[in-house]
Amino acid sequence: MASTDQLTSRVDASGKPHKRAELYGPANIPWVYWVLGFILLLMPVVASNFVLFQIFGWAFILGMVALSLMFLGGYGGMVSLVQMSVAGLAAYMVAVFGHSGVVQISLGWPWWLTVPVALAIATLFGTITGALAVRTAGIYTIMITLAIATAFFYFVRQNYGVFNGFNGFNQVLPPQLFGVDWRQPVPIYYLTLFFATLAYFVVIYVARTPFGLALQGVRDNPRRMAALGFNVTAHRIAAYAFASFIAAVAGVLLVWLNAQISPGTVAVGPAIDILVIAVIGGIRHPIGPFIGALIFVVLRTFALDVLVLVGIPGERFQLLVGLAFLAIVFWSPDGILGLWPRFRDRMRAASSLTAERDRRL
Amino acid sequence: MRSFINRQPIWSLIIFIVLAFFVWAIFAAWPPGFEDVFGKKKVFLNAFFNGITLGALYFLVASGFTLIFGLMKNVNLAHGSLYMLGGYIGYGVAVTTRWGLLSFVVALLLLGLLGLVLPGGVVPRLGGEDLRPKPVTIGISIVLADLMLWIWGGNFYQILAPEWLSGPVKLPLVTALKSNGEAVYLTYPIVRLVIFLGAVVVGVLMWLALNRTRVGMLIRAGVDDRDMLSATGVRIQRVFVLVFAFGAGLAGIAGVVGGTFQSMAPGEDTRFLLASLVVVIVGGMGSIPGAAVGALIIGLAEQFGSVYFPTYAVVLTFLIMVVVLAFRPQGLFGRTR
Amino acid sequence: MAVSVAQRLSAAGTANALELRGVTRMFGALVALTDVSLTVRPGERRAVLGSNGAGKTTLFNCITGDFLPTSGTIRLFGEDVTEFPAYERIRRGLRRTYQISLLFNGLSVLDNIYLACRGVSRGRFSLIRPRRNEALMHSAEQLATAVHLIDVRDTKVAELSYGQQRQLEIALALAGAPRFILFDEPAAGLSPTERRELIEILTNLPAHIGYIIIEHDMDVALRVSESVTMMHNGRIFKEGRPSEIESDPEVQELYLGGGHG
Repeated sequence: MASTDQLTSRVDASGKPHKRAELYGPANIPWVYWVLGFILLLMPVVASNFVLFQIFGWAFILGMVALSLMFLGGYGGMVSLVQMSVAGLAAYMVAVFGHSGVVQISLGWPWWLTVPVALAIATLFGTITGALAVRTAGIYTIMITLAIATAFFYFVRQNYGVFNGFNGFNQVLPPQLFGVDWRQPVPIYYLTLFFATLAYFVVIYVARTPFGLALQGVRDNPRRMAALGFNVTAHRIAAYAFASFIAAVAGVLLVWLNAQISPGTVAVGPAIDILVIAVIGGIRHPIGPFIGALIFVVLRTFALDVLVLVGIPGERFQLLVGLAFLAIVFWSPDGILGLWPRFRDRMRAASSLTAERDRRL
Repeated sequence: MRSFINRQPIWSLIIFIVLAFFVWAIFAAWPPGFEDVFGKKKVFLNAFFNGITLGALYFLVASGFTLIFGLMKNVNLAHGSLYMLGGYIGYGVAVTTRWGLLSFVVALLLLGLLGLVLPGGVVPRLGGEDLRPKPVTIGISIVLADLMLWIWGGNFYQILAPEWLSGPVKLPLVTALKSNGEAVYLTYPIVRLVIFLGAVVVGVLMWLALNRTRVGMLIRAGVDDRDMLSATGVRIQRVFVLVFAFGAGLAGIAGVVGGTFQSMAPGEDTRFLLASLVVVIVGGMGSIPGAAVGALIIGLAEQFGSVYFPTYAVVLTFLIMVVVLAFRPQGLFGRTR
Repeated sequence: MAVSVAQRLSAAGTANALELRGVTRMFGALVALTDVSLTVRPGERRAVLGSNGAGKTTLFNCITGDFLPTSGTIRLFGEDVTEFPAYERIRRGLRRTYQISLLFNGLSVLDNIYLACRGVSRGRFSLIRPRRNEALMHSAEQLATAVHLIDVRDTKVAELSYGQQRQLEIALALAGAPRFILFDEPAAGLSPTERRELIEILTNLPAHIGYIIIEHDMDVALRVSESVTMMHNGRIFKEGRPSEIESDPEVQELYLGGGHG
């Protein structure tokens, strides 16, 4: 099974597969994944409802949004700050088209109509932003996406006809499917875990498809890619579409987890926090965003206690995050991932694309 | 300019018509029907002047931003925080010393110093991957924003203009005709006009510095082609630090200005960072004239928007940005590769 | 030359492979190319020679589409491609190698060639991972064999020798169905053995593939081309057959005096 997932053949001239000197478990998946999967699946047994809901639920969702940023930034070389806005728009659309406490705006459509529509609108928004952002030199991307994200924030805050301005929407609940109340801690834990895992493996898989490879080629050498026949602009926009879809799914989960959506969710602070999360975790590999999200959420939840212990007023959470961020950026530019020697060596040996090829995942 | 008119005759005509309309609307007495459509002339004139003075403020902030961006290819996301810090410091100085103008000097010096120190963390790491330089300024902006919130809290601070600058002045512009035929003239706060003039002076000085001095030439060369600049043997680090310090100092001055005719409160940093972003996108990266024109357009758009389409003023600004991105992505004065 | 010019011509069809008319390119005040007009027939093997700064690489960049000429037209197989972006020209059969290898260092040899094959075929946006027995994979392996790199196909480019990297450059240019190739100093830095291999590869290219080669090594250039264009200061200053150019006194004075460049 190992060889068919490779892009190119892993057999030598005589047809024998190259052996990898690592620990592979059943079906050749590295043992780390088995252990992690085991722990995550059984988490509800040991963790409290609070931890499941507030820590893991948030970590999976923010991790997904950060994953969409990592896809664009790590594989595409484009740093986009609009991902949280895309997720937020999906969240808003679920509230607007579905059921919420704001009955004069919500249309009350059934969930199986609301969700696809919300995903489509948010993905379209992200793609159009991408189309605007990619036609200029790479450094502009962060500016343009930030400007669009900020404009989006001001807009939803002032618009009362569709977005209900300052108040936003509340009582946005997931549907009761299969007799399960999905907003309970355990169900929503598994729901967010499922989609986060799905997003993670999809990104890993796509990285070694022609689409993913072409995107990385565009990142490393757009001039060469153009001279090989690739439409560089089209590939970048397609990358935005793909990443926006992931962020949109996260957005739907977000509004169900929170049961509400308001302008504060898509403000500039949260938009930048996503970049902070991706950088802290490590932008080189899809697991980075999730590591960063977990750290961020844990910090956010327990910062109050930690700060008070040290004697600083508890509201200074942002200060803590900012300092932690600067520390990581200075000492380990590849984020937490960069601290793990195996990862670091792997990434040093292969500047870009072959990080995935030594291990299939 | 002549070459522009030759190359783009249609756009030149459109721009000329728009400018002519504005000149007429400002200086001529409005015919009776006009007011029914456009509202009172006084409102229009006020919006216009507010727009150009706001544009002046945006220019002060954005010009530093565009230089840093153009030369160092680094988006200084802490620029808004520097602006706000300048404003708070200015307030502190104005309140303690009662000597308003000192605020400017202190803000300039302190922010300039900060600008000298910060690049020490930013600059050596430039030239690495694209991602690395920017996150540093994000981290700085987060830390600064929270520190400022801690020290100054969530209140609104307003720097009072000194005595000799406060109060209105009569401008030779007719707003309306009284029933007895006498003209009513527009009155407008002096301080705002002074700020506008000050921004013009700063802009002209900067333009002169960039185009007539050796350092300026180096900076312009660096904006065009950084590798070429380092190939000339100039210590590129020094130029970077100088530009960054200057940009920071300018942001600081802008902060004092903003604190005077607007106010300082949390959230202003975001607002001015966004304004800088939009001005640079519209005007073009690394271009001072571009920053001036962009700031003027955005300032006017914002003010006219808030007067005539109050709910969606920000949308107008945003629309302008999108239109520029769609049709001339490098900005009005930016260079295509 | 194993195949005669006439045979090449009949193998390739009638429209000119490449036709430049009055191409000028300015960079601000610097004029890199002045009024360059050039015609290359299908299957023709042309060398463009000249000292550094003569404008040869700028000429290539214009033809590839890295930037638009300030004025003039470029026709590829009869089609006006002056305004076309690079990828449109490549998809019409144009290929290019670079003076300094532009390869994907983190990828293996086979991955590089595979990407090149992908670029000129359908499925660039494919979200399905390719299988080992896929047609494109076979093409990539064949190409690797043609440039003697099949044994190192899984090696990362960063670990290849300089000569091997140059060979990979050529393999990329041969991907898909090239009709016309621009070789920018392919012999630079090669050992005598590698040089011989290069000459072999170039002369054994199928008859219908024409090319322009920029070279400083006269030995290689004159052996693999049937016509020569000399450039100087952004202009074409002489054209003719290799033997004519070699013996031309003006050319000798400017370039060949005292040995090879």
